[in-house]
Amino acid sequence: MQGMNSTQAPLWRLEGVSKLFAGIRAMDHVDFSVRKGKIHALIGENGSGKSTLIKCLSGVHQPEEGTLYHNEEPLRIASPEDARRLGIATIFQEFSLVPTLSVAENIFLGRMTRKVGRIRWNEARQKSREILARLEIDIDPDALISSLSVAQQQLVEIAKALSMDASLLIMDEPTAALGLSEIERLHDLVRMLRDRGYAIIYISHRLDEVVELVDEVTILKDGKNAGYVDKGGINVDNIVRLMVGSDIEEHYPKQRNAKDSVLLHAENISTEKGVDDVSITIRRGEVLGLAGLIGSGRTEIANALFGVDKLTSGSMSIDSGHGLKKQAINSPVDAIRNKIAFVSENRKFDGLYMNFFAQENVTIVGLKRIINFFRINLRKERQVGRETVEQFKISPLALGKSVGYLSGGNQQKVIIARWMFSQAELFILDEPTQGIDVNAKLEVYQLINRLTGEGKGVLLISSDFPELLAMSDTIAVVHNGKIRTVTDARQIDRPRLMQLALAGPG
Amino acid sequence: MKRVFKSQLAGPLIAFIIIFIVATVTTPRFFDFDNFSNQILQVAIISIMAIGSTLVIITGGIDISPGAAMALQTMLIAVFIKDLKMSVPATLVIILLIGLVMGIYNGVLVAYLRIPAFIATLASQNIFRGISFMLNNGAPLQSLSGGLEPIFYTKLFGKVPIVLFYILILYVIAYQFMKYSQIGRNIYAIGGNENAARLSGINVKHITVITFATAGILTAAASFLMSCRLNSGSQNYGSGLEMSAIGAAVIGGASLSGGKGNVAATFIGAMTIVIVQNVLNLNSIPTAVQSVVTGAIIMIAVFIDMWKGDAGRFFSRKLSRQPAPEGK
Repeated sequence: MQGMNSTQAPLWRLEGVSKLFAGIRAMDHVDFSVRKGKIHALIGENGSGKSTLIKCLSGVHQPEEGTLYHNEEPLRIASPEDARRLGIATIFQEFSLVPTLSVAENIFLGRMTRKVGRIRWNEARQKSREILARLEIDIDPDALISSLSVAQQQLVEIAKALSMDASLLIMDEPTAALGLSEIERLHDLVRMLRDRGYAIIYISHRLDEVVELVDEVTILKDGKNAGYVDKGGINVDNIVRLMVGSDIEEHYPKQRNAKDSVLLHAENISTEKGVDDVSITIRRGEVLGLAGLIGSGRTEIANALFGVDKLTSGSMSIDSGHGLKKQAINSPVDAIRNKIAFVSENRKFDGLYMNFFAQENVTIVGLKRIINFFRINLRKERQVGRETVEQFKISPLALGKSVGYLSGGNQQKVIIARWMFSQAELFILDEPTQGIDVNAKLEVYQLINRLTGEGKGVLLISSDFPELLAMSDTIAVVHNGKIRTVTDARQIDRPRLMQLALAGPG
Repeated sequence: MKRVFKSQLAGPLIAFIIIFIVATVTTPRFFDFDNFSNQILQVAIISIMAIGSTLVIITGGIDISPGAAMALQTMLIAVFIKDLKMSVPATLVIILLIGLVMGIYNGVLVAYLRIPAFIATLASQNIFRGISFMLNNGAPLQSLSGGLEPIFYTKLFGKVPIVLFYILILYVIAYQFMKYSQIGRNIYAIGGNENAARLSGINVKHITVITFATAGILTAAASFLMSCRLNSGSQNYGSGLEMSAIGAAVIGGASLSGGKGNVAATFIGAMTIVIVQNVLNLNSIPTAVQSVVTGAIIMIAVFIDMWKGDAGRFFSRKLSRQPAPEGK
């Protein structure tokens, strides 16, 4: 199952490695190896064992079975400090930078050179400059982290990792928060590192990026090896087939349910947050996809429709059951009253209540439905919980534990369930499949179909162009807060959509 | 449901039971009806103030003004009864209204002016106590009225302190409110994730003001009881009391980062503090040491709360033979 480059022994090799958590095999006799000068993608759904594998290499977990080999010598990685000492640098999605300190201070956090107890700032600054220059990163070492963009912060994180004498670089979902040009920049850097002899493990859900970048791919499923491809075998179809055992055509189960009746009509709306004279129409049963690069203003449009930002001009008309009527939506309370739902982009930040179980997360907007005489009916709430986990295929354990314990996919389903429970008619979905595994994505698509089948309208914001093209009926391209083009989704293809999103007006 | 109930109260209850047993074993005069009666009297004022503290802490805020509010309110009660010759019932109503206004004031500072709760209530602390010194030329007022002490010290059937019923009524109302009302649920939501609460259509500003206002009324009720107990008003009353109230909430499992807390458990927390002080008293241990011990208990409670997640996972790993999880 593993391809072997006969001229080079792997830098790190896992053989038959298993990791058990309370009797559950998170990793089950996994083989995996990574070579110097190669970018190796690690692909798998949430729960596939890939995060566990990474944590084993980072010294966070110790396997119960199997052996780790470093240059073909068996050893144990007992702790994260051990891993670092052995040259393993891991960059997680959440950066470990201190925003209030400078780039140089972050790079040398805890390792400042001292002369008789005094920190040598100039040396730190100079060394940082050298490190950044070697990586061709153009950032001022004195700049505060908080003043940098997310993409720049990530580059600093990489510089920091590499400054500690790493030989293996592990990157976990590195492009989740990056725009297109920033992704290119990052990939250039990763290729440069590969050419310099680093071994790189690259974990990402974005298969189209992965196939452009990597040299080999290992797929994990249910804690076991599910496949390995290299060279010519690296394409999205192959990988997806190995991941879920089905072909890519099944992945976008679009149902066409659009009717004529208009659900929402926004006319020339503008806000102080950058929405500029936007007009959109969403019909019942229709999915309107908003395409655009990061920062193009899609979330700002969503915020305007949901009342998070007030309109400085323009108007909105909504049909909340009694025909299309002009409404003032000045707050989420207004929006909810008008049967609008908003599944936000970052569920951990403003979506999930970590102090609540699944059922309480579901009922919070539609609480009226389980209140009799000013009293919440807790038995009804538990019933709602049971129905939700059954319908949405969530683990029943979710009813007795904080939602923080659920996988990303299940968390997202809980939030969608919340808005369906609120009996909304218009669903604004902002990056609903971001950071969730392929199976969960499929379930989200089915939910979108269910919504449109019931005559509801969907505003779909997604940076995943194939997803957007497949699941939308109509697509509007957003650029700088303005709508540039509106077109039927079937009459445009990915390259053209990319062009429109990248280019400016006119 | 019982499982949920048990998991929230379990920690504080177990701690309380252990301390109770230790107390019984080490101190003969502890397990005595009159002693328990005294404990109820000791816990009354703190535990009523602690209901308000719990609510504010659950929203993710904090209130360090109740002690100073008590100084002002007991002085006002004293002035109303002794100087203005107001009746006791009228005084009670007016002081509750004043407490409400003081609470609303705090709430508006935090919710509408966006001043962090700690800073806002710290300022209030100074303002309230300052105003109390403006009354009666900064001197306390004694011997207010014969009608006050009975309100505190009456024993029903000659045995059961009447304050126990005040406590029970207020706690039952508060418990029902937090568990079954929409506002109660929204208070937990705001503490859990304020941004999500806003997007869920919860009026965060309103609920914050309501929470502080409720704490204000409860503090006023506690102040009234304090005046009854001591038949006087003083600028020095209530000093530091809010810390014990917050301590009771924290021992009861309330999390200072918000979203977690339970009114019933707060009472257990308050009783824990009172029992420990009682045992130290019965063993003639100096008051200074009592402060140290109380502080230590609060610290242990916070420590347990922070680490119980890890401890739970450690034990379940060692002890369980769990079946495989549901399929994906």
